[in-house]
Order: sequence, then C-alpha cells, then structure tokens
Amino acid sequence: MRNTRRIAQVLFLLFFILLFLKARYPYSDALPSDIMLRFSPLVPVFDFIANLRISLLFWPALLILLLTPFLGRFFCGWICPLGTTLDSVSHLVNSPDNRKSIDAQKWRSLKFILLAGFIVLAIFSVPVWGHFDPLSLFNRALTVVLYPVFTLFSESTLEALARVRFMEEPVFAVFDFFKTWIMPEDQAQMQQVFWIALLFGGILALEKVTRRFWCRNLCPAGALLGFLSQFRFYERLVADSCPQCGKCTRECKMNAISEDDATFTNKVECIECFNCGIACPPKIDAITYRWRWKPYRSSIDYSRRQFLGSTVGGLGVIGLASIGLDNKKAKARVIRPPGSLPENEFLDQCIRCMECVRICQSNGRCLQASGVTENLEDVWTPIGDMRTGYCEFNCNLCGEVCPTEAILPLALERKKQTAMGLAYFDKDLCIPYAKNEDCIVCEEHCPTPDKAIKFDEKEYIAPDGSRRMVKYPYVDEDLCIGCGICENKCPLKGEAGIYITNEKEDRLTKEELAKAPSPDSKQKSRESALPY
Amino acid sequence: MKRRRFLRHTGAGLLGLSLGAVPGVGIVRAVGANTPDAVWVENGEPARLLESAIEAYGGMGHFISDGDVVVIKPNIAWDRAPEFASTTNPELIKALVKVCREAGAKKVKVFDRTCNNPRRCYRSSRIEEVAKSAGADVDQVRDYLFTDISLVNGEELTEWPIYRDYLEADKVINVPIAKVHSMSTVTVGLKNLMGVMGGNRGSIHNRFTAKLIDIDQEILPTLTIVDAYRVLMHNGPVGGDLADVKTARTLIMSDCTVTADALSLRLFDYKVDQVGHIKEAYRRGLNKYTLDGVNLKTVSLS
Repeated sequence: MRNTRRIAQVLFLLFFILLFLKARYPYSDALPSDIMLRFSPLVPVFDFIANLRISLLFWPALLILLLTPFLGRFFCGWICPLGTTLDSVSHLVNSPDNRKSIDAQKWRSLKFILLAGFIVLAIFSVPVWGHFDPLSLFNRALTVVLYPVFTLFSESTLEALARVRFMEEPVFAVFDFFKTWIMPEDQAQMQQVFWIALLFGGILALEKVTRRFWCRNLCPAGALLGFLSQFRFYERLVADSCPQCGKCTRECKMNAISEDDATFTNKVECIECFNCGIACPPKIDAITYRWRWKPYRSSIDYSRRQFLGSTVGGLGVIGLASIGLDNKKAKARVIRPPGSLPENEFLDQCIRCMECVRICQSNGRCLQASGVTENLEDVWTPIGDMRTGYCEFNCNLCGEVCPTEAILPLALERKKQTAMGLAYFDKDLCIPYAKNEDCIVCEEHCPTPDKAIKFDEKEYIAPDGSRRMVKYPYVDEDLCIGCGICENKCPLKGEAGIYITNEKEDRLTKEELAKAPSPDSKQKSRESALPY
Repeated sequence: MKRRRFLRHTGAGLLGLSLGAVPGVGIVRAVGANTPDAVWVENGEPARLLESAIEAYGGMGHFISDGDVVVIKPNIAWDRAPEFASTTNPELIKALVKVCREAGAKKVKVFDRTCNNPRRCYRSSRIEEVAKSAGADVDQVRDYLFTDISLVNGEELTEWPIYRDYLEADKVINVPIAKVHSMSTVTVGLKNLMGVMGGNRGSIHNRFTAKLIDIDQEILPTLTIVDAYRVLMHNGPVGGDLADVKTARTLIMSDCTVTADALSLRLFDYKVDQVGHIKEAYRRGLNKYTLDGVNLKTVSLS
C-alpha cells in the first residue's frame, strides 16, 4: 500500500504541475487548468457560507468530502501536492522522529482554531481563508515564486551558453522547446514575491521541526477533513502479538499513534500513509487494515475554551478588517480582471490561488498579486498593474481558468466591450501637454476598433515665436475599456502621462451577465478560414 | 558583421553623395537596361502579385545569390487576424519565403519585434504558421541579441540598438503592409523598420521624423515589398474594424525603400509633402531615384 500511495502522490503532483504549465496562451479548455484547484475541500464549504448553495462546479471537492467520513484524510496523504512536497522536503532535511520532536507535538489544536476563526470571519463576509488553503497556497507559490525563479536560472544559463558561438544553434533549439512547452513567457516580475516566498518557505522550513508540521498543526483543510474523519470506517487493527515496541509511534508522519497504546489510531490525524505497516518489524507483523462497520471514534483536540477563543479572535480580525484604511486614492487603483464579480462577491469568491495571474503572464502580464491596499481582504487578490503590463484586447483567459468563477468566463466579444476602468491623462506629464511636442504612442496602441484615444491637432506658438502643429490626445469615455495599454506603453520614465482608474468598470453578477444583451459584434470571428 | 559594415559604408557613401548633390536628385542607377526602378502590380492574389513583380526584375536571382542568409521583415506588430489589415498578408510571406529558397537562399529568417504579446501576434497573424511551412526560421526576438550601432549621421540620435540577425544577414527584404497611422500619417517601409529596433521605441515618437530617419539611414534593406492587398484606411495602425479595410489587391516593389513608400502614398491619395518622415528621407537623400524620375513598371493582372 505504501508504494501505491507514493505513486499516487507523485502522479497527482505531476498532474498539478502539468495543469499549471498548461495555463498559458494558446489555451485549450479540453482539460481545464483549474480542475485540481477545485479539489480543495474548503472551497465548497466556504462557497456554501457565502452563497448558501452547493455548487456542482466543485464536484471534485464534494467527492472528497463525501468519501472522507469513510476513508479518513486520504486527501492529505495521497492527493495534496503541498503534502507531497512536504514529504520530499522532510526527506531532504531529515526531519526528527516523533520522540525527538516531542516538544513540537502540542500545537495540534491550532488548525481547528484557525478553521473556526476563518468560518466566523466568512460568516461576517471577511474571506481570508484562501490565503491558507493548501492548494491555493501551492499554486500561488508556483506562480509567484518557484516558476519565476526557475525561469531566471534556466534562461540565464541558456543565454550564457548561447553566447559561445558554436553552441548557439543547439542551445536555441533547447531554448525554443522551453519557451514553447515549459517557459511560455518572459521573466515574471511579481511584486509580492518576497512575502509569498516567506510564507511558503516558512512552511517548508517547519519540516525541520517535525514531519508534516503544516498538516499536523496549521492546515485548515486538514482540520476540516479531520473533523469529518472522527468515525472513519477504514481502520488500522493491531494484533495481540504487538509488543508495544513504539516503532510505528515514532515513525508516524502525523504522530497519530498514541505513545501509551499503539493499538489506538487518532483518526482525526491519520492521513492513511500506511507507513506504520512497513515500520512494524516483519517478524511481528501485527498491523493490518480493514473495514469495520462499528468503528471507534477519535475526538478532535479542540476544547470549548479554544472555540470561544477563536470566535473572539475572529471577531477581532473582523473589527480590524472593517475599519481598514479609507484610502480613496488606493481604492480607485484597484483594477480587477475583466468579468470579475461585484467587489464584495468577488472577494468572497476569490480563493487567492493566482491562476489568473499565472495565465496573464503569457498574455498582457497586467495581473499581479495585490498587497494591502485597504485591508487584509485585498492581500493576494489579482490586481491589474497597467504600468507593468496591460490587458490584451483579444484575451479572455483569466475568466476561463478561474476555479471559482470569481472572474466570470466571458465570451471574447463581450470581454472586448467589458470595461476594467477608464483612462485619464496627467497633463503635467504627458509629452504633448507638458512639452508641446508630438508623441501619441497611447493613441497608436489603443486597441478598440474605434479608438478610445483621439486627438486634436492645434497650432502651438513657442516662446521664440516659431509655430508648429501638435497632436493633443484625449480619452473618449464611451469607447475606453480601461485595458491600460496606453499606460503601459507611455514612453515616459516612471509615472505615465496616462493612467487607469476603476471608474466606469463593468462588474456583473452571474445572473446579471446571463440577462445582459449580447454585445454588438463589430468584429468578425478571428478564426475565419484561408484564403486571407 | 558583414552586412553591418556594408550598411555603414553605404550610409557614409550616401551622405557623401547627398552633400554634393541637390537633395532629392537621384544618385544611383540600377545596372541593366531593362530593370525597372519600381514595380506596381494590381488586381491579383498575393502570390500572383509577387510572382509578377519578380518577373519584372527578371527573377529573384536579381536580388538573392546562392547561399545567402535572407531576413524577411514583415509587420507582425499586432494581435490581429490577417483580415483586419494590421499585419502583413501571410499568403504573401509564404510565397516570398518559397521564392527566396528557390533562388538559393541558405536560410530565410522571419521575425518582428511586436507591440502586443509576441506569441499572440505570431499566431494570430498566421505568419509563423505559413512561413514555417514554407521553410523559414521563425523565431521570436530575443531581447539580448540587440547590438548598439552608432548613427554617424544622426541629427537627434547618436546610437540605437538593432537586432543582430538583421545586421548580419546577407540580404534583407522589408515587407510592410500599407496602413494609415495617426502619428506618422502612413506606415509603410521606413516605419516598418522599427520592428528591428530595440530599446524604448516609444521615445522615437517624440521628434519622430528626425529620429526615425537617423536610424533608418543606417539599416536600409535590399528590397522593399509593400503589401497592399488589404489596406487599412482608418484607425491605424491597429485597426480592428473590417469597415476600415480596403481591398486594393496591389503590390509595390522596389530596391529603394523611399521610392516604394512614396509610390504607396497613391493608395491613400497623399503627397510626399504631407508625410513628414518620407519627406525627410528625400531631404536627406536616402532615395535612389528622384521623385519624378522613377522608371515605374505597372502591371495589371486580371
């Protein structure tokens, strides 16, 4: 069983990474990139809290929740890619066994405190659980930290090799293979990389304290699955021949076998890794696994006092989050991906997984993980930074890959007419206004078929009396969709002479979108056939 | 480095000659009595237009020798389908790659530094797909392969980064699509060369005519083929509305970029005087032929 489990772990991890790599242009949704993010058992629970519904969109997670009372925390032991990563790290750093790390074994209840706190917060519509959802966390680390670092090292190595003249051709062949299949875009520059690396790196580093520290003590998904596993039907049985040698107790990944009585498994903690069966000396071979219809119960390590504590703590965070900063300036620069739900619903629904940010990297590259703009809720939500990138006119992929429909999938024609915001000129900076010279780079790049940036050509009389015609740009509010290519391509250094605010953004709920009239199609399908 | 040195010498030579000559007066005459200075072909499909234009020069051997490395520089700047006339016609590029291969080119490279995401542009324009199928190397521009060239005759600029493959090619064929352009009035051959320029190209747009010609005069191509099968008449250079596209079914070819550009103005009913950067190119003597003295061969297919 242990080998089967290991193979399953590796396959699920590879599958997760494959889906991650697949999230790029050109994208095909035959195998949706977000499918494994919908495995997260927390998603349907918090979706229920926010919307009082059970959405079949999250069928993989529902299936896991359904099986857990029978099978226990098999998700943690067999599927979760973060768990698999932690197992590998634990081998690398040679984690101490349970006896040597006995002092680190008293934090178990923390995960229940966290989960209860997140639920209290979610009921008051302060969704911050996604930051700690194991699959979101892993995907976020891949998008913001691991993949960009991988790109940096592999690209610079290849570039260095390609500088050797006779190596150039073969290196470029490898380079192009990488660019097509593994590294589909240029070096990502992510503003939140330090903080996300710190959280992810911290979780990995805790393996040095004890094995699966995150899963034992912190993971809210683990807490939920543990809660459901109290009566698990699939049990570990220990024969009377057991001499209580304590080997399985010491080796257990989750410290789920009692120090005093090795026949007892803590079902809330056990993740079905089957290591105990291997740890048991072959001569004794006392451990077997089987179904029982009258299972014993393991209760969760979570007292009433702790429940009260987490509720009060949760309310405290609600207080902090609700006061926040009333920063009008920052608020206006919160530009959401096209198709995002109205802000409150969006924040409820977004699981901070960064899948949209990931796919945006192979397109216009405007989406970034946000920091604190107003309060905690904003952290690691997608935000359009138009000086860094812009929204690609012919792209609607962020909505396609959003696992929770926080960004609704928009048909391309509709996306092209969905405003993310509105452009404003800063006439103190903009070259034609500030220097009375032509520029018009913004107008040139403006992608709407009838350009949203237009210009007046006026004569300018210089102080020395010379005259010249200058094109002075302005924005047509009805045409502008706030894609931000103007801000991105503005040739000025630093601040651009034109910038996007979220004024006039289109934010519809799913119901409103379904009722909205179909967009007038000025553009024919781009998939028309040859001849050109 | 071969081509780069060649370009420098040509540039210096042109300047020397233009200093002596009245600006706008022709300098070099093509060898061979029957060779036209430029060809205008209309009323045909892209591949036929090209074939017919090359015939007028007596075959591609006139421009390309055995074993040449040829760079074809189309306009792939935008993430748009060919129908919108924002990017060069892919059928034309396909036919051109074939002709170059048949004329003995060792290698044909096709690339452009795009404005939208490069992968999207290469794919939506269909140029990557068809050029590859015809046997060209279609790579995206690699950022670290730009080298600064000094612009000895620059009036605004002293140096600018240019793509290495362009500088090192034996022959260069510039294949712009004819479009209106809000800032430069039109964009044809001279403007299309911006696709081999590195650096902050946005900054070229400020005092555009002088800066563009500063760079262009150092990197003029062997041959210019203006794709006017579809012409973008409004909302250039990006377009996006089929109503702005005129199907002109035309192709203009010349070994002089400035002449090709000047001729293409007829598509828009413009005069050279109305287009700053083309006028500037004549002023600085980048033209091989005078404006009025072009030996133009016109062909109408049917």
